[in-house]
Formats: sequence, C-alpha cells, structure tokens
Amino acid sequence: MPETISARNVLGLSPPYSLAREMIAVSTAAHAVQKAASDEVVRAERTRTFGGKADAISQIWTLANECATPDWNGEGALPIAQLAVFEATAFIRALPDGIPLPEFAPEPDGSISLDWIRSRSNFFSVSVGTSDRLAYAWLDGTDRGHAVARFDGDSVPSRILEGIKALVQGANAAVRPR
Amino acid sequence: MLPSGLAEVVADEEDLARFLTQSSHFNTEIVKPAAVLPSPKSRETSVSRHGRSPLDVLWAIGLEAAGTRRLYGAAIFKAAAVRAALLTVEPNEPPPRHAAILGWPWMESDPELQRAKQKELALLIVSAAGAPELR
Repeated sequence: MPETISARNVLGLSPPYSLAREMIAVSTAAHAVQKAASDEVVRAERTRTFGGKADAISQIWTLANECATPDWNGEGALPIAQLAVFEATAFIRALPDGIPLPEFAPEPDGSISLDWIRSRSNFFSVSVGTSDRLAYAWLDGTDRGHAVARFDGDSVPSRILEGIKALVQGANAAVRPR
Repeated sequence: MLPSGLAEVVADEEDLARFLTQSSHFNTEIVKPAAVLPSPKSRETSVSRHGRSPLDVLWAIGLEAAGTRRLYGAAIFKAAAVRAALLTVEPNEPPPRHAAILGWPWMESDPELQRAKQKELALLIVSAAGAPELR
C-alpha cells in the first residue's frame, strides 16, 4: 500500500526528508505523488533557508532601530544609516547556501558588524557601512589580518567568502572524528 | 598618585573593564570586537581600572558609567593585552578609575581601511578578554 501523504508532513511539520526518500512507489500515480513530495522537500528547504536569512535581516533592522539616534552608546556613536542596513541585508542575501549566518553588532561609527565566531581566538568579522567597500579582519590562532573588499551587492567578495569558509571548515575539522 | 589613589601609570598587569551596554556586543562566551572599538568623537575607548572582584564595586562603577543605559556586564582584560595590540592605555580621571585606550589608527582618506585596521586590533583585545563578566 502506498503511504498516505498528509499536508502536515509535506508542509514540514514533521521531517519531510524521510517521506520523500523512503516512500515506496507502487504505481505511476504513486510515482507522481513521490515526485511531488520531493519537489515539496526542495521547496520547503528553500523556504527554511530563506527563513534563516529573513530572521537575520530582521535582526539587522532591529539593531538599526535601536541605534538610529546619534550617541546611542553614550560615547558619541554615529547612528546606523539606512544605506548601511541595505548593504548589510544585501550581503546576507548574497551569502551562498551552506554558509552559517553571522551574529550582528552595531559599531560606534554607524557600521554594522557581521561576526563569525568559532572561539575566542577564531573570529572573522566584516564591517558594513554606507560604502560598497567592506572592511574585514580575522583572527585565527596566532594568524591575523585585515583588508578591504568591494561588494557589488550581488556576490560576496571571494576573499571574504574564503575567510568565512576557512573559519567554518576549521570548526568542522575540530569536531571531525579521527 | 591620582585622586582615586591609583598610580599615574597603568601597569601591564592591571585589569581593565570595558562596560557592556549593548546586548548585541557579547554572547555568553565572547565579547565582540564592536564592544571595544573607539568612539569616532573622542577617538578613544573608555575603560575602568578594575577587575572582576569585588563584583559589587565593579558594578557600582559600571552603573555610574552606563548612566541611563542598561548595564549588561563587562569585558575584562589586562592592560598588557592593549599594549600587545600596539595601543596605549592612560589614566583619564575624573571619574575615578577612568582610563582611555588610545592610539587607534585613524585614516581620514580611507575610512574603510581605518575600520579594518581598528577591527583587527579590537579582535586582539576581545580575544584576550575571553568570556564577559555578566550581571
């Protein structure tokens, strides 16, 4: 007997992967249903990915609202400009799938800091301000550095992407069993 | 001797506290570099010459410094960590125990490069600080 496909499953209220991968098709109709379920898994995954980015973008806007007035830190900080928010949200949208989303923090000059943190000695941090040039710095054990890269609004600059990947892969290597 | 009774030179082994008034400037394990970046107005980072203990004194100083802002905690690091980043730390009273981290790179002609340089130095300081002391 083919399995019954509930909307609850397809909509991801329970893990849809097993549904798509393990369902045994016994007829052409069942095969069509299985394909539809697989398509739904892909769609659900895309939605889930976008959901993560949507949350991140929401955090950026929240931060910008909290730091919208001059001197938000009591030490003469500049407000986060709307253009910086647009740049930061474009950067998040441009991050390829599989790259973890960063934590966000306001900087005193009105920029938004995007931080990938593995440990106290493994950081990758990007500053997004009102310019299309992104300041970034990293700390990887005893290795450290800084640079600037241009962001076209669509693709994360390759040097920044490589830096984030190196940090993430280092984290994976650290937990990989021998 | 300063009015607070502290020495006029900040010793390498002295603890410095950077008070945290933004919830997004830290998590439970780490302080983020944005927390110690300099003010664009004064071009320095304010700190207090005080360590983790006694905590009640630390928080009393912090509440005074925070004013109307919420005080979440403090990043604590040695003056030596600031100097290792090739920055300087000097007493700046009043208020009592106040000091300033000075010498941040400033480049009017290239603000992004300036930001990148400052961020690298800030990373060194927060790395030395480790986990924040939270209220």
